[in-house]
Amino acid sequence: MSANETKQGSKPLKIREKKQFRFPPGYGDNKIVLLVRDPWWMFTYWEIKREKEEEVRNAIQSAGDTPEKSVLRVYDITGVNFNGKNANSFFDIELKGLASNWYISVSPDRSWIVDIGIVTKKGNFHVLARSNAVKTPRFGMSDQLDAEWMVAEEDYWKMFGLSGGFGVGKGSLEARELIQRRLEEQITSGGISSGASFFRKPAERKFWMWVNCELIVYGGTEPDATLTVQGKKINLRPDGTFSLRFALPDGKQVIPVEATSHDGIDIRRVTPIVTRKTE
Amino acid sequence: MPKGYLAIVLHAHLPYVRHPDFDDFLEEDWLFEAITETYIPLIKVFEGLERDKVKYRLTISVSPTLMSMLMDPHLQGKYLKHLDSLIELSAKEIERTKWDGPFNQLAHMYHSNFLEARHLFADKYKMNLLNAFKHFQDKGGLEVITCCATHGFLPLMEVERKIAVRAQVKTGVDLYEKVFGKKPLGIWLPECGYNPGDDEIVKKEGVKYFFVDTHGILFGTPRPRYGVFSPYLCKSGAAAFGRDTESSKNVWSAVEGYPGDYYYREFYRDIGFDLDYDYIRPYINADGTRINTGIKYYRITGNTNHKEAYQPDAARDKAAFHAGNFMFNREKQIEYLHGQMGDRLPIIVSPYDAELFGHWWYEGPQWIDFLIRKIAYDQKNIELTTPGDYLKLYKNYQVLTPSFSSWGYKGYSEVWLEGSNDWLYRHLHKMVERMVEAAREHRHAKGLLLRALNQMARELLLAQSSDWAFIMKTGSHVQYAVERMREHSEHFMELYDEVKEGSLDEEYIKACEDKFNIFPDIDYSMYSA
Repeated sequence: MSANETKQGSKPLKIREKKQFRFPPGYGDNKIVLLVRDPWWMFTYWEIKREKEEEVRNAIQSAGDTPEKSVLRVYDITGVNFNGKNANSFFDIELKGLASNWYISVSPDRSWIVDIGIVTKKGNFHVLARSNAVKTPRFGMSDQLDAEWMVAEEDYWKMFGLSGGFGVGKGSLEARELIQRRLEEQITSGGISSGASFFRKPAERKFWMWVNCELIVYGGTEPDATLTVQGKKINLRPDGTFSLRFALPDGKQVIPVEATSHDGIDIRRVTPIVTRKTE
Repeated sequence: MPKGYLAIVLHAHLPYVRHPDFDDFLEEDWLFEAITETYIPLIKVFEGLERDKVKYRLTISVSPTLMSMLMDPHLQGKYLKHLDSLIELSAKEIERTKWDGPFNQLAHMYHSNFLEARHLFADKYKMNLLNAFKHFQDKGGLEVITCCATHGFLPLMEVERKIAVRAQVKTGVDLYEKVFGKKPLGIWLPECGYNPGDDEIVKKEGVKYFFVDTHGILFGTPRPRYGVFSPYLCKSGAAAFGRDTESSKNVWSAVEGYPGDYYYREFYRDIGFDLDYDYIRPYINADGTRINTGIKYYRITGNTNHKEAYQPDAARDKAAFHAGNFMFNREKQIEYLHGQMGDRLPIIVSPYDAELFGHWWYEGPQWIDFLIRKIAYDQKNIELTTPGDYLKLYKNYQVLTPSFSSWGYKGYSEVWLEGSNDWLYRHLHKMVERMVEAAREHRHAKGLLLRALNQMARELLLAQSSDWAFIMKTGSHVQYAVERMREHSEHFMELYDEVKEGSLDEEYIKACEDKFNIFPDIDYSMYSA
């Protein structure tokens, strides 16, 4: 079926039939993007153009050098206007296989940039792409005191402890640990987050079984008769039949069924008695 | 004069799920369950408080996706059908459980609850529950605030951050204004995800305050003078309120939290799963998958599979007891704080997911009702307030930059950035980049081009919902989340190509508009700034 036929023939238009979409493996970019996950971890993903990589490799060769390995070079650029050479420090992560993203372990409260590039035999580094700059959050209290809002050290810790829900009189190191523990307690949506009671998986149950009993009481009479079950009037189907379903608890059920003819002259009564006992 | 304040904040949110091509769509039930079990029970609580002239203040954020669904005629019609089917099922249950006293009483309870829900939904609030929230805001009980457009998790919008964040904030503010007739005082940042600087955007959109998790304040710069018991002003002028830990634990904690009480209703024992398949078949999903119906007959009972019948009166007593306990603990807290804050009165900010109340914790709305009434009549130390009210109390507040943080597990971005969902960001970032490019390329678009660009903005925002990443992490409904991400990306990329090549296909644009019709007044030019 051609696309045109689909469009004319189907109402409403099925959007999907326009094109079978797959996420592209790449967008033809040459770039690397850096995200902060938490004070200790960053995430980076990248895409390198083949031409760019060839160009860099050729440059390395023509300089009489040999490409040795692909690396992520992670620069600590805290307090620095980074120009590629003036980082406080850096470390390399060697890339193997077909990785296109990486989690990088770092320190809190520092600024970072990551290059993806090639290290040569002679130890030179050639950049393929440079990331955006990010800052990991500090995990702990600020050193900055606010002159306008001064408070005695002791009172500061008291407020801190009350805020964190772990009482008063804790020092800085201990307080940090307590906060960390608190963050792992899962006190959002019972360990979940927004809307989560809908998406949450039930707790895994081990082997289980359950059994229940129901009772079906059914029958028929003249379609214009009046019928009661346990004294309650029951509507008949057009052909005079009926069917009732009951949860059946343990014990004895006496179920009088009574039909009265249209003119009130004939009466029929049947009384099933059912006992359920569960062992 | 109270010694301190308590601000209860309920955050109501569901992702935008609307499938007009289907009579019955599994994930649409999230909305229907939330309406029956959370939104309507809460509205009934507010009605009771109004009837009894009880003074209260409570903050509710309604996410723009939820607002949009509550206003949508297609979903309203489907909800009514859903409710009618529950009314029919509960009537059958009354007959079926005739010989089983405790269950029969419960069947009657559900039946009358569903009938009452129908009356409220269809007759009283004319199919649109936002009418109710507006009413209680106008009457002075509620402070309704907004949220980001599609609950996008802001800290991970690293590419074109300012523009991407602003589009989420602005779209949420605009929709709120349209629905409630004024600017929102506050905004709930999705998952309390805060990245320093986002407050400038909030402030520019005319919003006065937002919330951060406890460590967002405690690790803020400079050192906070009042812990989380006062709001702080960011340099932008927007106020940040920090979450109180102790009151959070009382409700959320799996170990110490109230919702785990053995007398409360058991969430996982639903007749949709428990009853004979042939009998329940007409009331479960059209494809035959068993689902929750909302009719549940058991109490938690204990931590084994043995469950006993739910006793509404005993559960109600527990809710009253727990409300009393919560109030007592807050009074104690305020007592400790009193004198620690100079001439200021402390505020305890207790935010919760709204859907926890009623849907997950069945007795939650009753608990809120008891809590509000007890605070009004049984003590004098604390008073209920809202962030908006509290900010009027003092002329100045300490200036502080909150720390990057969220209220998710471990306090940062890990929930939404881990092995199961980290692949999303490459595509989301690309879409933002392309949206900005297209918006700048085509300023002042008209006609079909305008429609294509606006639809691109809708598809992008919908793709950004934090829910998809969250679902991928939790492992339930994953296929649906992946499919949604795929579909929005497909529409977006196709429209982007058409815009770029100047080959606009009206039929395709219309099909996308019909399928994902959220934010009718969206203006793509917010991406060109």
